[in-house]
Amino acid sequence: MSLELLLRFASAVGIIFLGVGVYWLANQFLLSRAKGNLSSLLNPLPNKPVIVYFTTPDCAPCKTVQRPALEKLTSLLGEKLHVVEIDATERPDLAKTWGVMSVPTTFLLNARGEARYVNNGVARVEKLMEQIQTL
Amino acid sequence: MTSQTLQKVDHSALKTNQLFIIFLNILAFILNQPILTAFVALVMGIGAVLKTPGFGIIYKSILRPRGWMKPDVLDDNPEPHRFSQIVGFAFLFAGSIALFLGSAGLGWTLVWIVIALASLNAFGGFCVGCAVYYWLARFGIPGFGKQSPAGTIPGAKPKARVTA
Repeated sequence: MSLELLLRFASAVGIIFLGVGVYWLANQFLLSRAKGNLSSLLNPLPNKPVIVYFTTPDCAPCKTVQRPALEKLTSLLGEKLHVVEIDATERPDLAKTWGVMSVPTTFLLNARGEARYVNNGVARVEKLMEQIQTL
Repeated sequence: MTSQTLQKVDHSALKTNQLFIIFLNILAFILNQPILTAFVALVMGIGAVLKTPGFGIIYKSILRPRGWMKPDVLDDNPEPHRFSQIVGFAFLFAGSIALFLGSAGLGWTLVWIVIALASLNAFGGFCVGCAVYYWLARFGIPGFGKQSPAGTIPGAKPKARVTA
């Protein structure tokens, strides 16, 4: 592999990382916005981790992957987790407030109601479990 | 909000198109092969003429029949996506010309803009070209007649099946 090729590869990786960084910052902005939104959804707060799951009736990956993942998670954690499912077609106001631009989107909030993670797109059960453990 | 008639748009075909645009252009940059960028521009140009996603043929003939990608059909306006593809084609065409004329900085910048916008669409669900289309429609520019589907932020992936 020539030096030029290596340099170009490194540049491409650098640019991609820069893009991912910008995306990460945008997610942090979403999380900071979500912080105050839970109390308007759940009052009083359930005092346990909450997953706010945005979906639509026509969302195929929601039906085939996201919902089964959340059902499995609920069966594993039982009362230790609260899942709020929101149909974005019925509540476009909430989708807008939470900054949801695509479905599925899942927000993970800790027991204090602070948003810690946002998953734009499908989040598998292993990933959600890992995120819950670090809340 | 609008009562316009929407059409069935398979967003999986659009996503396939975006992923191929991203992958091939990154490959073109790494290998320093402007011809590959020109090829992507050509495919997008053909797609724009045929009013279909350029690399959508791969989705229709390989990915969907084999079940590797599932259809994601939404009620949407196809026009903004076509406009987006035309804009992408224009950027890549200009980028290719710049690269062939030896202006690597300008050429690859244009290519990376397309990669960035296609990535935002493929991974973030936001189509900047579509947002520009709806923005132009709002100003009554001829040829830009559609409004974003009800309840959808202009450029965002539609969340609702709004027609019966």
